[in-house]
Amino acid sequence: MAFRLAGLAMVAVLAALASLLVGGTPLALHDVLHALAHPRARGDIATIVWQLRVPRVCIALVVGAALAVAGALLQGMLRNPLVDPSLIGVSSGAAAAIVFALVLGVAAPLVPAVGFVAGIATAVLVATLARRGAGIDVNRLILAGVSLSSFFAAIIATVLTRSRDADYSTAIIAWLAGSLAGRGWHDLGFAAPYAIAGLLLALLSVPALNALRLGDVRAAAVGVNVDRAQWMILAGSSLLAASAVTLSGTVGFVGLIVPHIARRIVGSDTRNVVLASIGIGAALTALADAASRTLIAPAELPIGVLLAFIGVPTFLYLYLHGGASTR
Amino acid sequence: MIVAREVDLHVGGRVLLQGMTFDLRPGELVAILGPNGVGKTTLLRAMAGTRDVDAGTLRIGDDDVARVTPGDRARRIAFMASDDLFGEHLTVRDVVAMGRYPYHRWWQWHEDRDDDIAIERALDAVRMREFERRAFATLSSGERQRIWLALGLAQEAPLLLLDEPTSHLDVRVAHAILALLRDQVTAGKTIVSVLHDLNEAAEFADRIMLLGCGRVLAFDTPHDVFASGLLEDAYGVPMETMRSPSGALRVFPRLRG
Repeated sequence: MAFRLAGLAMVAVLAALASLLVGGTPLALHDVLHALAHPRARGDIATIVWQLRVPRVCIALVVGAALAVAGALLQGMLRNPLVDPSLIGVSSGAAAAIVFALVLGVAAPLVPAVGFVAGIATAVLVATLARRGAGIDVNRLILAGVSLSSFFAAIIATVLTRSRDADYSTAIIAWLAGSLAGRGWHDLGFAAPYAIAGLLLALLSVPALNALRLGDVRAAAVGVNVDRAQWMILAGSSLLAASAVTLSGTVGFVGLIVPHIARRIVGSDTRNVVLASIGIGAALTALADAASRTLIAPAELPIGVLLAFIGVPTFLYLYLHGGASTR
Repeated sequence: MIVAREVDLHVGGRVLLQGMTFDLRPGELVAILGPNGVGKTTLLRAMAGTRDVDAGTLRIGDDDVARVTPGDRARRIAFMASDDLFGEHLTVRDVVAMGRYPYHRWWQWHEDRDDDIAIERALDAVRMREFERRAFATLSSGERQRIWLALGLAQEAPLLLLDEPTSHLDVRVAHAILALLRDQVTAGKTIVSVLHDLNEAAEFADRIMLLGCGRVLAFDTPHDVFASGLLEDAYGVPMETMRSPSGALRVFPRLRG
């Protein structure tokens, strides 16, 4: 198993390297490696690598890993293979806030922060509605998440249909379609601490999540504090999803599909699924970003759209061939 | 081991059991009997600390059961819920390994050498070592019950609480499970098990706790409980008690005549 997990980590590294090579200006492997080895070097290639490609690839890796881990956590906690991070309302809440921010003319650098705060606020609202006693009622969580997502989607649709300003409509659509265009170190610096906090919560809750595969009663019997584990999982996945949506807009399917691919490779043990999801999610998103930059160059295809094109058939294949299991 | 004083248990706003006072002694096998819906599982869960009591006190040693931390509780009490389908994508060893959770530090994700020894000892105790790589979902009901018992044994807790471990099992398999429980009592464990078969309880239990009419009707040896006539109060049907030719105590409902 360690061999497979190490292999997936290597795939993520290779995907990142491949993503550094492609774009508006294709670069040779030895030029990229030289620039990486000499971060203080000057010149066009060093500028392209360190100011454009590296931050963007890092963002793709963070977004992919964050969404994949959030998906693995939520699918495990809710024991439902159809769950993805958008279920807890983070993406739709953030998107609605971003739409308002763009319409109201909020300065562009502040827009991701608005999205992050709104995403977390939505997750808190969903968790409040789903609360029962000291714990979380998973059916209420799904109901609250789906309801609020629909509500925010209606708000976004209303704004878009009333919009006569092509500039911010284009910006809104870019957020909704998911895009890494124009993202850089500043965005990564803002979101990374929250993504790391979310990942730490996720990693801390993994042993409990693994025991929850036996059901809440048996998990409690072997010493799991089920209420605390549920809150940690929800907090961790909310932070991860909010970090991702802040960096990339609404990118679907990574959180849904990657845990399924991970189970195919490493089995159903939650501990391995979460670790494998980090590597697969990062690799998949880095490759998708590279493709989004090159397929219709010099224009870009939104990464969310590209992942949906890949994701839908992949998910249907996995689901219809018996790969959809959460336990 | 477990000390209950004036314990009340409510479900859905109604009083299910009240005024329960009893002591559980170390090294005995206690069978909880009573009609459906009387509160056997609810009492077992209260003893396991997975639900609060609504009045009175329920203590393990010097500690209130519900106030003990989940990890500490799992090292002192192993609670085996009634059989269900969870864990269907796990191997037998995966299921038993869950019993080591309360011994892991917060940073420990995987089993260590001590865990492996405890898991193998538990599988040996239920005579299922050769099944450890099998998918849990492929086991029969009786085999699953053995694995749930092994999960509890892997917790290395001195007190085992079992909810209907012989339900849906044929006579031979049910007796094999109960014989395993007796072996564990001989090895020093204290066991409380909800049972439905009165004669199984008479055969294997040291004492029977009979629940009925919202309270503990009797808590005594099988002979004294059966001789008290309280079974009829609990179940609402006439009972006949007799000795079999082998001398074993037997009880039957007299449904006609």
